[in-house]
Amino acid sequence: MQEPLDAIVMRDVVKSFRKRTIRGEYTTFKSELLRWLRGKRQPREGGLITALRGITLNIPRGKTVAIIGRNGSGKSTLLKLITGIYAPTSGHMEINGRISALLDLGAGFHPDFSGRENILINGIILGMSRAEVRERMDDIIAFSELGEFIDEPVRTYSSGMYMRLAFAVATHVDPDILIVDEILAVGDEHFSKKSMAKMTEFKKRGKTIVLVTHDLSTVERWCDEAAWIDGGYIRRVGRPSEVVAEYKQAIALAEAQSVVFTPPALTEDGGALPQVNVPGADAPVRLSGLKLVGPSGEVVPNLTPEASVEACVDFSAKGLCEDLVFEVSLQTLEGRALYETSTRVESVPLPRELPASGRVRFVLERLGLLAGTYVCEVTARTKGGISRETCTFVVSSSVAERGVFRPVHHWVVEPVPVAVAPVLAGVGHP
Amino acid sequence: MIRLVRELYQYRGLLLSLVQRELKARYRGSFLGFLWTFLNPTLNMLVYSLLFTVMMRANTPHYSYFMFVGLLPWIWFSTSLGAGASAISERRDLMTKVRFPAQVLPTTVVLTNLSNYLLSLPLMLGLGLFHGQYPTWHVIAFPVVVIIQLTFTLAMTYILAAINVTFRDLQHIVGNLLTMWFFITPVLYQASTILDERVRSVVLVANPMSSLMLSYQAIFYEHRFPDPWPLAALAAFSLALLWGASILFESRREEFAESI
Repeated sequence: MQEPLDAIVMRDVVKSFRKRTIRGEYTTFKSELLRWLRGKRQPREGGLITALRGITLNIPRGKTVAIIGRNGSGKSTLLKLITGIYAPTSGHMEINGRISALLDLGAGFHPDFSGRENILINGIILGMSRAEVRERMDDIIAFSELGEFIDEPVRTYSSGMYMRLAFAVATHVDPDILIVDEILAVGDEHFSKKSMAKMTEFKKRGKTIVLVTHDLSTVERWCDEAAWIDGGYIRRVGRPSEVVAEYKQAIALAEAQSVVFTPPALTEDGGALPQVNVPGADAPVRLSGLKLVGPSGEVVPNLTPEASVEACVDFSAKGLCEDLVFEVSLQTLEGRALYETSTRVESVPLPRELPASGRVRFVLERLGLLAGTYVCEVTARTKGGISRETCTFVVSSSVAERGVFRPVHHWVVEPVPVAVAPVLAGVGHP
Repeated sequence: MIRLVRELYQYRGLLLSLVQRELKARYRGSFLGFLWTFLNPTLNMLVYSLLFTVMMRANTPHYSYFMFVGLLPWIWFSTSLGAGASAISERRDLMTKVRFPAQVLPTTVVLTNLSNYLLSLPLMLGLGLFHGQYPTWHVIAFPVVVIIQLTFTLAMTYILAAINVTFRDLQHIVGNLLTMWFFITPVLYQASTILDERVRSVVLVANPMSSLMLSYQAIFYEHRFPDPWPLAALAAFSLALLWGASILFESRREEFAESI
């Protein structure tokens, strides 16, 4: 049997809801009786609300795909369609593989039951068999780090413990396709790292992951592909950095034009964000695939302040670009520049005629940044246009220093070789 | 209907766990928790016994035992319908977040109440011994009657649960209708005590619960086999009803997640 290439195929999928079910009250016998008594024979005109107007999307097997978009743009509806909780109004959908959906943590948790009992129920609800849950019970308990609390009723748990338990169950389901709705950041630093590691393990095992999130840095750092859903359509699918950049620009543009942010599904045109001109689309030098790598060329999962890294970016050039400048900027997540330089300020000679495709490497012998999340931005600037690539990276450190950077330093503590008094006396007397 | 049953079978693990949990939730912690299963029918029995043996002087020998034989399965039926009506509409958390066949939820309610019924049988048998009524070999017919009642109860519960998703006040009406139904069913009285011929035939023929109650009474109280034909007719009717319920379920299942 030939393996289908795509895990999920969607063609022109439309999903509308009857207005009645979105706003307004539930129908009751009482309301129907009153309506009948008042002589209104026709049922209230419901009208339709179209959340998704025609989604065409292929999610390749083994890829991690992020779905981004404004609040109410239909991301969760899309996930529920993929999961099968909703049925499409029209269009064609094809799912190849066993799906597990983490749309909500702790589905079916019962407060009076112990953590252990809830693992069983929740695991079965998420699609495991009883035997599978029993088999993985110890792993789940270990992962949740609840210790003795596992046999206490869930109602006595703190919200963090509750989420940890729920997440532990959710990540031990072993599906082909994992659907995740904005629940990656659970618990403290340590636990969220563990969660990320678990998700990375999923990725490594070749599972398909569909992820809805507003955390754009996660999207850039972690996903293979991003799909931007806007106005009920897929607006753009492509490399995460490009899609995220355009999405950010569209939001900024909308804010600048003071577009009123209405619920997208209720708006005539689907509440699409304004079109942006993608910078660099026609630039003579285009950058792609910026990533931070170690000296051996491997992507380093955990950067430390002392790490030596290279920002590597591929470029493709069209013809002569005499005025080309490469710029590198290290920024905080909020966009505050920490360090900026360019081939112009450092007078780095560039070849007059660039190869049609090549690679720029910005080599940092020592990163020097303290723990935190940062953005690296590389720009190729020419008169014909600019092309920009960004990537987010995380630095972690076991030393609890504060600030932004770590200068090369060492400490010396020693006895003072000369008397203190004469030095003090000398102050103010040049 | 085949799909409905097949999915139930596929999700039997979930069904089993949910039923177990409901039962455990009831019996959890306190000894009294377990007693509630007995206490409720016992108190009911005391009230009705007082009413019928002291106040109204019904001439049914071993009245409290007689009444218990019918009351327990009736409680199974009525609590299933009462709780089953809101089984889907109240589990918004599950229906909108996880994919699984919706019929699991009402089925859980019916099976939980069935377990409660079976658990309270020793109490009934004990009361029988107290009255000198020993079970006879006729009890081999008992499982058949239970299965017919199970089919009928499931069908009714599915229909109510499906309708209640659209019409939310159904769950409140169900309680009142069940009280009415209770009194036109020969639980508290023997069918033979209805004097009016026409009323009696209406109670016995038009009310599916009657033939079930008469069967239970035949097995445990009169120590004979139940009349086969009314039971067979009810079995056929229950299957037809279940078939109708599954069609209703199929046509509405897409809407469940969206309208709750």
